[in-house]
Amino acid sequence: MGTISSALSLISEGLNADQSALNIVANNVANANTTGYTKETANFSEAQPLYINGVSYGAGVGDVTPTSVRDRVLEERLAQQQQLASASGSRLSALDTLQALFTPASGSSSSTAGDIGSDITGFFDSLSSLANSGDPSSSSLRTNVLSTASTLAGDISNAAASLNSQRSALDQEASGVAGQVNALTGAIAQLNKQIQSTSPNGDAATLEDQRQQDLSSLSQLIGINQVTTENNGLSITTTSGQLLVSEGSSYQLTTGMSGGVTHFYVGTTDVTSQLSGGGGTLGGLLTARDQDIPNAVASLDQLAYSVSTQVNALNNQGTDLDGDNGNAGNIFAEPTQVAGSAASMSVVMTDPNHIAAAGAGEGTGDNSNATAMANLANQSIVNGQTPTNYYSAFVTTLGSTVSGVETENTAQNASVTQLQTQNNALSGVNENDEASAMTTFERSYQAASQVFTMLNTLMASAMNLGTETTVT
Amino acid sequence: MQGGDQSRVHPALKELVAEASRSLARLDAGRLEELALSCQQLNRNLAAADSEGRSRLALQSREAAGEMAVFARVLEASRANLNVMNRLRELHRGRLEYGGADPGWVRTESGYGDD
Repeated sequence: MGTISSALSLISEGLNADQSALNIVANNVANANTTGYTKETANFSEAQPLYINGVSYGAGVGDVTPTSVRDRVLEERLAQQQQLASASGSRLSALDTLQALFTPASGSSSSTAGDIGSDITGFFDSLSSLANSGDPSSSSLRTNVLSTASTLAGDISNAAASLNSQRSALDQEASGVAGQVNALTGAIAQLNKQIQSTSPNGDAATLEDQRQQDLSSLSQLIGINQVTTENNGLSITTTSGQLLVSEGSSYQLTTGMSGGVTHFYVGTTDVTSQLSGGGGTLGGLLTARDQDIPNAVASLDQLAYSVSTQVNALNNQGTDLDGDNGNAGNIFAEPTQVAGSAASMSVVMTDPNHIAAAGAGEGTGDNSNATAMANLANQSIVNGQTPTNYYSAFVTTLGSTVSGVETENTAQNASVTQLQTQNNALSGVNENDEASAMTTFERSYQAASQVFTMLNTLMASAMNLGTETTVT
Repeated sequence: MQGGDQSRVHPALKELVAEASRSLARLDAGRLEELALSCQQLNRNLAAADSEGRSRLALQSREAAGEMAVFARVLEASRANLNVMNRLRELHRGRLEYGGADPGWVRTESGYGDD
């Protein structure tokens, strides 16, 4: 049987415990708008029992420790989606810049990369005009051929230069991300140490919130995997498995130049190719730097190489106005290889008389070679396509890539929003809240599925039934 | 002119699809259910539409193709998220059932049932 004082002590501890619980509630309310704050719940622990004459008596409520209500599974899913959204976001931004380069500028008097399509047409049309004029010796028509050739070469080489500048800017941006990654992994390692020294008996809620915020920031920068370790510690690897944080230790992401661009290393391992195409801002920047821009440059190189070599070859087969037969010279600078052809594309011919409009061995009044050069416009001279079709296909592919990445980015951001909503709904979880959140999710998904099915049917029917006309 | 009046009453299909994606991102079940009803009505309208109406809808369907692709991806991501949430719920239930969580009282329980 307990004494009166022990009974009073029981009551007093109960009151203290209630007060602590109220403090936790007050803390939750005060931090309701604090970014990254996770709601805490009060954990009442039983005090050590009293032993009187060998019999134990309940000693009431002991310490009240707050515990953060967090869900690793949900947080990891959120982090994963954030990585994807950040990657597609930074890639999309780079692709938008890239696409803008090849979009004709309305109202601009000077020719730009966006005019390459019309430049190709303009150049071959000028050859056609020379061939069909009835006067292949016309100085103005010959000058016009060189002028349109210069415009085409200038726009292609300027486009290549702009692409290289954009690549350098992305490279610098990517390089800067490494420093941010290192700052965060260092901070997470420190927090791991503090959390592990606090858990399991103490309250590490604030530290865990801080770590979660750092993890969220890290997820936006780089693709990572998380592994929870003993005593609430955390190890982090890149998605390809390179260790960035192992409990209390962090491993630097270092950079070095290789092949003219920044490469990324963990220890001595070059992880650049694994990071490219991976998650986070860094993944998106590297995808644009190492994939999208080089693809665009390669397409321009092929176009420049094919047009230059084919036009030059024909010019050197004909007879120019000075009577040079089979030795009239090049119109464009002759490229030695495909790579770099766009950047170095230029017109080397300065004298319009050296345009070999006449066929081999023909008099200067002949136009057969000018016709042959003009006909290149309709021949599959660039990777099995005409120059115009090749360029159109390049621009269309670029547009389709932009559209695809845009779709991904919008969907991933929607997914992030959804998970954040769920995370907020569940951060104060009890069974009822959780069931309610799940019901809302399921209802939304089911209704959305119905909407999708009905829209799909509607659109398929409309396109099968309707003959498309312009509706004003 | 008639088309203009119609579009004021019925927003373009692409806006409806975009609204569906936004509502799903926000998990706005009520709005999505309203949109489902609108789609039902649109399907009925199509069945009764004249050739001009069908042509208009065909044009709108082509214009909405991009938004539809986004909606399909949001739906796909939502299904994955829903799976995660369902697994999470199962985990919680398991914890409640078997006491697998980390309640403080487990460590201080005397274990003898004498208190």
